[in-house]
Amino acid sequence: MTTYEEFIQQNEERDGVRFTWNVWPSSRIETTRLVVPLGCLYQPLKERPDLPPIQYDPVLCSRNTCRAILNPLCQVDYRAKLWVCNFCLQRNPFPPQYAAISEQHQPAEVIPMFSTIEYIITRAQCLPPIFLLVVDTCIDDEELSALKDSLQMSLSLLPPDALIGLVTFGKIIQVHELGCEGISKSYAFRGTKDYTAKQIQDMLGIGKFSAPQQQQPRGPGGQVLPPANRFLQPVHKCDMSLTDLLGELQRDPWPVAQGKRSLRSTGVALSIAVGLLEVSLGLAPVSKITTIMCTYPNTGARIMLFVGGPCSQGPGQVVNDDLRQPIRSHHDIHRDNATYMKKATKHYEALAVRAATNGHAVDIYSCALDQTGLLEMKQCCNSTGGHMVMGDCFDSSLFKQTFQRVFSRDQKGELKMAFNGTLEVKTSRELKVSGAIGSCVSLNVKGPCVSDTEIGMGSTCQWKLCTFNPNSTCALFFEVVSQHPAPIPQGGRGCIQMITQYQHSSGQRRIRVTTIARNWADASTNLHHISAGFDQEAAAVLMARMVVYRAETDDGPDVLRWVDRMLIRLCQKFGEYGKDDPNSFRLPDNFTLYPQFMYHLRRSHFLQVFNNSPDETSYYRHMLMREDVAQSLTMIQPILYSYSFNGPPEPVLLDTSSIQPDRILLMDTFFQILIFHGETIAQWRSLHYQDMPEYENFLQLLQAPIDDAQEILQTRFPMPRYIDTVQGGSQARFLLSKVNPSQTHNNMYAYGGAMPIPNAESGSPVLTDDVSLQVFMEHLKKLAVSSTA
Amino acid sequence: NRNVLPTGKVEVPKVRLHQEFLNSVNCSPEIFRCTLTKVPGTNSLLQKSRLPLGILIHPFKDLNNLPVIQCSTIVRCRSCRTYINPFVYFVDHKRWKCNLCFRVNELPEEFQYDPVTKTYGDPTRRPEIKSSTIEYIAPSEYMLRPPQPAVYLFLLDVSRLGVECGYLRMFCDILLEELDKLPGDGRTQIGFITYDSSIHFYNLAEGLNQPQQMIVVDTEDVFLPCPDNLLVNFAESRELVKDLLKQLPTIFLNSHDTNSSLGPALQAAYKLMAPTGGRVTVFQSCLPNHGPGLLTVREDPSQRAGKEAPHLNPATDFYKRLALDCSGQQVAVDLFLINSQYSDLATLSGISRFSGGCIFHFPLFKASDTVLSDSFKRSFRRYLTRKIGFEAVMRIRCSRGLAIHTFHGNFFVRSTDLLSLPNVNPDAGFGMQVSVEESLSDLQNVCFQAALLYTSSKGERRIRVHTLCLPVAANLSDILYSADQQCIVGLLAKMAVDRSHTSSLSDARDAFINVAVDVLSAYKLIQSSGGPTSLLTPSSLQLLPLYILALLKYVAFRTGQSTRLDDRLFAMCQMKTLPLTNLIQAIYPDMYPVHYLDDKSCAEVDIEGTLVPQPPHLHLSAEKLDSHGAFLMDVGDHMMMYVGHNISSQFCTAVLGVPCFSHIPEEMYELPEIESPESERLRNFVNHLQNEKPYQTMLQVIRDDSCYRGKFVDRLIEDRTESAVSYYEFLQHLKTNVK
Ligand SMILES: [Zn+2]
Ligand SMILES: [Zn+2]
Repeated sequence: MTTYEEFIQQNEERDGVRFTWNVWPSSRIETTRLVVPLGCLYQPLKERPDLPPIQYDPVLCSRNTCRAILNPLCQVDYRAKLWVCNFCLQRNPFPPQYAAISEQHQPAEVIPMFSTIEYIITRAQCLPPIFLLVVDTCIDDEELSALKDSLQMSLSLLPPDALIGLVTFGKIIQVHELGCEGISKSYAFRGTKDYTAKQIQDMLGIGKFSAPQQQQPRGPGGQVLPPANRFLQPVHKCDMSLTDLLGELQRDPWPVAQGKRSLRSTGVALSIAVGLLEVSLGLAPVSKITTIMCTYPNTGARIMLFVGGPCSQGPGQVVNDDLRQPIRSHHDIHRDNATYMKKATKHYEALAVRAATNGHAVDIYSCALDQTGLLEMKQCCNSTGGHMVMGDCFDSSLFKQTFQRVFSRDQKGELKMAFNGTLEVKTSRELKVSGAIGSCVSLNVKGPCVSDTEIGMGSTCQWKLCTFNPNSTCALFFEVVSQHPAPIPQGGRGCIQMITQYQHSSGQRRIRVTTIARNWADASTNLHHISAGFDQEAAAVLMARMVVYRAETDDGPDVLRWVDRMLIRLCQKFGEYGKDDPNSFRLPDNFTLYPQFMYHLRRSHFLQVFNNSPDETSYYRHMLMREDVAQSLTMIQPILYSYSFNGPPEPVLLDTSSIQPDRILLMDTFFQILIFHGETIAQWRSLHYQDMPEYENFLQLLQAPIDDAQEILQTRFPMPRYIDTVQGGSQARFLLSKVNPSQTHNNMYAYGGAMPIPNAESGSPVLTDDVSLQVFMEHLKKLAVSSTA
Repeated sequence: NRNVLPTGKVEVPKVRLHQEFLNSVNCSPEIFRCTLTKVPGTNSLLQKSRLPLGILIHPFKDLNNLPVIQCSTIVRCRSCRTYINPFVYFVDHKRWKCNLCFRVNELPEEFQYDPVTKTYGDPTRRPEIKSSTIEYIAPSEYMLRPPQPAVYLFLLDVSRLGVECGYLRMFCDILLEELDKLPGDGRTQIGFITYDSSIHFYNLAEGLNQPQQMIVVDTEDVFLPCPDNLLVNFAESRELVKDLLKQLPTIFLNSHDTNSSLGPALQAAYKLMAPTGGRVTVFQSCLPNHGPGLLTVREDPSQRAGKEAPHLNPATDFYKRLALDCSGQQVAVDLFLINSQYSDLATLSGISRFSGGCIFHFPLFKASDTVLSDSFKRSFRRYLTRKIGFEAVMRIRCSRGLAIHTFHGNFFVRSTDLLSLPNVNPDAGFGMQVSVEESLSDLQNVCFQAALLYTSSKGERRIRVHTLCLPVAANLSDILYSADQQCIVGLLAKMAVDRSHTSSLSDARDAFINVAVDVLSAYKLIQSSGGPTSLLTPSSLQLLPLYILALLKYVAFRTGQSTRLDDRLFAMCQMKTLPLTNLIQAIYPDMYPVHYLDDKSCAEVDIEGTLVPQPPHLHLSAEKLDSHGAFLMDVGDHMMMYVGHNISSQFCTAVLGVPCFSHIPEEMYELPEIESPESERLRNFVNHLQNEKPYQTMLQVIRDDSCYRGKFVDRLIEDRTESAVSYYEFLQHLKTNVK
C-alpha cells in the first residue's frame, strides 16, 4: 500500500494530473461541503519520454452521445471481441484489425500502464506551423539591434519547413513580402484604422489563387504544406533574405517631438497579423479535377509580438503620445480614471477571440522600462496559450534567454510546443464537468457530461488550446451528479477521460488520451477516507486559480474575504477542536500547509496589486494560470534556502527569523531568483576573504547558492530576474516583502504580548504593516472554532 | 485669288512706333505679340474693326542673348510696380516717368552707373533701357522663403495597359541616359511613385543596399508610408535611383492588375511635394478607375463624327481641386497621356491646366511602333533636359486705359493680373484678351509688361521682364492694315476652346466663320470702290480665311470626321498653350517641294556659312502635288516627306540611297547621309527647319503608294473632303455672307 503522497506523485508523473480530492464524495451536497471544489490540474502535454506514441487511430465508443476512447478501465471480452465503455456501458465490437487480440496479446490502450496514451493520426494532413513575427520599431537603436539579433538567431531554431512572416510597426504598419528578389517590398497600413480580415485579404491580394497553381506543394515524405504566399514563406526558402531584411530594419523614422511618445500602432499591427493568418485561401486546385480547402485557420500558428512601449494611437491605444500623461496605474483604474483601458481591452479581447477561433496563438514579448499595455492585451495570451514575457529591455539576457527557450526541443529534437489543440473531457455518469480555468477558451460544446454550474469557463466539455507546452496546465472542475447521498455505484469508481487533439510541432496530428478513475466514498460516514485523499498543494493552486479568475473581474476586498471564508470553512470542516477553544485546534497532517499557502496567496502580488503596475499584475497572473502545481506553488509561496557554515544547504521558513547575519539565503519566487547575503557574510565578502586561499571554504559558501541559482535560471521559462543583494541593500526589499513578518516593529506591540516575542538575536525586525503568519493563524483558529462564526 | 500664301515665311507685321529709335528695342514678336500692331484709341473703334484685341506671350522661351543683371535695387514704379523699361520717359537725369501709369519716379543714384563700362553717366545706357527683354537676379526681398531646390517626382502608371504598351522601359532607359542632365544643382531631389490598384513608394535612403518598395493599398485614404527618403537628394542616392530605374521595368512585367489609381497617386504626390514644391510628372496609360478621382467612360464612339462633341467639360472637379492645392504649394503636374483607350483627358487635363503643368499625348501608344516611340523618346528627352523655372508667378501690366480680362494657358489666376505658375517651361505660351476701357486718344503709345518671377533650377530667384510697346491708332483702316493675322488666329483659337467648353463646339465653329465674315464686312465698309463680286481682304488679313478654314478642319474643332474625344481635347489643350509659331504650324503645316532644290534660286547663309535652300511654301492642296516630285511637310512635332511614284531614279539614288521608287522602304524614318549635292541640300534644309524647333523631330519618308499615305494627305486641308468644304468653297461661302 502506497501512501497518498506517493499515489499523487505517481499520478502526476504518469498522467500529468493532480486532483484536489483523490477520493470522491458520492453526492453533490457532500462535495460542496468539502469547501475546496472537486477538480484537478491537468497537463495535457506532460513530458513522457517513456511513452512512445502509437501509430494507429483510437477506437471510439460507438454510442453517438459518448464517443469515449477505449482505455484500460474498459472491460474487454477477448473471446467475443467486445469491449464495454466505462463511460456509458455501451458494448462495442472491436474493429476488424483487432481480430488477433487476446489476453496474451492486448492492444496497448487497454494495458493499465497506458492510462495516458498518445496516438498519431497518420491519415491527417501534416502541416508545419506558422510563425508570424510582429516587431515594434519604435525602440532605440541598441534595443532594435539586440532584438534583430535575437530574431535572426531564432531563424536557425525554427523547423526549416515552418512558414514565417514579418510585420513591423511604428506609426505605420508594414507587412513584408518575403523571398522576393531585387527590390524589397512591403505593404504599409495606417496605424489608426482597423481593418477586417477581408480587407486585409483584399489589400494584400491573398486568399484567392490568382494565377493557376501547380500541384499542391508537398514536403519531404509527401506531407502537404500549407500554401505559402508572398508574406508567409518556408524558413528554408527565405532565411537568407529574411536575415537581410531584418538586418536592414530601421527604427521607426517618424520624428517624435520633445515631450512626446512615439506613435506606436500595436493595436492595428496585431489586428493585421491576426487577419493575415485568418485568411481563408479558398479552393486550391490539387489536380485538374480535385480541389482542397486551404486555410491558415486550423493550421497551427503563433503570432510573436515584440513591443518596446505602449500603443499610443489607433485601436488598442492605451495611452496618448503626451509624455506628461503617464500610463494608467492601479489607482487610476480603481478611481475609474483610465481613459483608454476599456476600449483598448475590448479591441484586444476581440482579437484574442478571433485568433483563438482559428487556433492561432499570440505571444507578447514586452520589453520596456514602463508599462506597454499588457493589462489590455493580456487576453491575447491568456486565451490562446501564447507566452507573455515581461522584461526591461531586449538587450538583456532575460529576454534573449527566454526567447531562445521558446524554441527548446525535446529528446527527439522536436520543438516542445503543440498547436491548435482541443481538450475534451468525458465523465462517467456520476460526474459532470463544470468548467476550466487556464490558457484556453471554451469551444461551447454542450454534451451529456456538461454541468449547469459553471466554474471558470463552463457550459462546455471542450476547450481550445491554441498552443501549449509540457508545462501548460489546465484547471478542470467537476460536479457530482446525485443530489443527495446515494449508494456508492457499482464498481465504486468514477471515471474521467481527457482527450487532447493537437498539431504536433512536426506537423503530425496527434491525440493524447488520459483516463483516470477514483474511488467513491460516502462523506457522511467516511469523511476520513475523503480527507485522507486531500492534495493540499493541488488544492492551493486550484483555489489560487479560482481567486485570480475572480479577481480579474472583481479586484477588491470581496475576493480576499472569499479566500478567508473558504479557508475558515475548510478548517471548520476538517479541523479537530473543542468548540470555542482555539488552542485545541488541530488539522490533519495533509492539511497543515494549506493555511500557510492561503496566507501567502492573500499577501502575494496576485491579489495585493497596489505595489505593482497593472502590467506586472497581468503578467504574474498570466503565469499562475498556466504553470504546473510545483511552479505555481513557488509563485504563491516562494522557496527559501539557507547556506551557512553550520551544515549543508537547507530549506528554511519563509520568515524573518530566517534572515541571519551568517547566512546566505536563496529565494525563488518563480519570477525572481534572489541571493541575499547576511550582514556578516556581506562584510566578509567586501573584505575579499574569498580571495584568500585560507578561506577557500568561504569562497565555496559564496559559490554554492550561485550555482544553485544558475541551475534554476537555465531551465525556468521565462527566465527569472536575478538579484544579488545584501542585508540592508536596496534590493533586499524583494526578500523582505515575501517573508512572513514574524517580527516587526508593529506587531511586537500591537498584540500586547499575546504573541510570542522571538529571540531578539535570532531574527531581524521587518518594517511592515502586514499581519504575520502567526497572527493570521491565531485569528484563523479563533474563527474556526467559534461557535458563532 | 486663292493663292494667297507668300512664297517665303509669312511675315510678322512690324510694330512701327512714332519714335523710330524705339522700334529696334521693342520686344521680339517671338515673345510678345499683339493681335493688332496698332491699338485702337477707343473701344468703339475696336468694335468697328470686328477684330479681337489681345496679346500672346511666350515668356520663358529659350533665348540666346538674354541680358542678365544683378543689382541691389531693381528700379520699379512706386505706384504701379512697373519695371523700368526702354519706353519710360526720363524727365531728367534723376527722374523717370512710368509709361504705364505716368507717375514720375526718383531714379536711384546707382542707376546712373553703367555696369558694362563701370562709369557713371546717362541712364539710357543701362541694359534695362536698352533691351525690352531682361532678366534680374532677384535680391532677397523677392523671396518669401529660401529658393526651393529642383524637385522631380515621377508618377508611373503600372496598370496592365501601362505595362503592355511598353512605355515603362523606354521611360527608364531614357531617364537613365538623361539623369545627369536634369536641370538642378547639389540640392536636386528626385522620387518615384508607381501605381495600379495600390500606390507604391520607393525608399531610396542613402546607404540602403537596394531600393525598398512600400505599398499603400488603402487608396481611399492614401498616406505617406515614411516621413522621408521617398524624395531623396539625387547626388546622395544616385546609385539607388539608377538601380531602381534598371529594376522597375521588370518588377511589373507579370502584373495583371487592371486598376489605375491616379487620383490617390496624385494625392500622395501632393503630400510628398507640398513641403518643397516642384515638378510632378505623370505617365498615365488609361482611364483612372480606382480610388478617389476614378472616372467612367463617357465617350460614345459612334458619336465621334457628330456635329457636336459632348463631354468636353470635366466629369468631376477632383483633378482641378487637387491642381489648385498643388498650385498653392508650388507643385506643378505634367501629364504624359500614353493611352490606347478613352482616358477622359477632358477631366484629367485639369491637373495640369490649373497647376501650371503641361500635357503630352501619345494616343494608341505602343513601344513597338517606331513612329510613336521615336516621338515619345524625343519629346521626353526634351522635356527632361529643357530649362525649368520653379515657384513662378507672372504678372501682366498694361498702360492705363487698357485692361486685361481673360487669360489663356495653364496656370491659376491668383489675382486680376497675377498668374500662379508653380513651374514654367520654355515651351509654354499664354494669351490674354485686352479691352479698351478708357480713351487712349491722348497717347501715342501703349505698353504691356510681363514680369516672370521664378526660381532657377540652380536655386536662384530671377525675374524675367518683357515690355511691348505699341502705337495707338485713331482710324479703322489703320487698324485693319495693322492687324497681325497669325496672332489673331492664335487668340481666336484660344477663345474658341473656351467657347466649346462654355457653350458648344458648333457655337465655337460659327464664331470662327462670323469673325471672318465680320472682318471682311468691316473692310468692305472702308473700301467703297470694291466691286460686288470680289472678296476683298487687306494684305494684313489675307490669310485669315485660310487659317480659319484650317482651324475648322483642325482636330480640336472639326466635325463630320471621326475624332476621338481625347484627341480633340488634347488639340484644344494645344491651342491654349502652344506658342504662336507652333500653333500656326499645327493648324496649317508648312509644305515645300523638295525634289528640285538648287543653290541659285534659294540661298541663305546661316552662321556657319551653310547654304540653305529656300523652297517655296505650297498651299496644302493635292493639286500642288506631282507624282514626279517629293514634298516635305513640317507639322511641328514631326515632318513627312511624300515621294511621288514617278520620282526620278536620280533623286532616289542621290537623296534616298535607293536605286528607284520601288526600292524605297515602307518604313523610313531618316534621310541617309549621302555625299551628293542633292542630299546635302535637302539635309541642310531639313536641319535648318529642325534648328527652329525646341527639339529635333522625326522625318518620315512616305511613298505615295504606302499605307502611311493618309497621314500626309489628311493634312491637305484646302481640299474638299466628304465632311468638309474646300478652301474655294469656303471663300464662296464667306462671300455670300459678307455684307
Ligand atoms: Zn461510451
Ligand atoms: Zn507706374
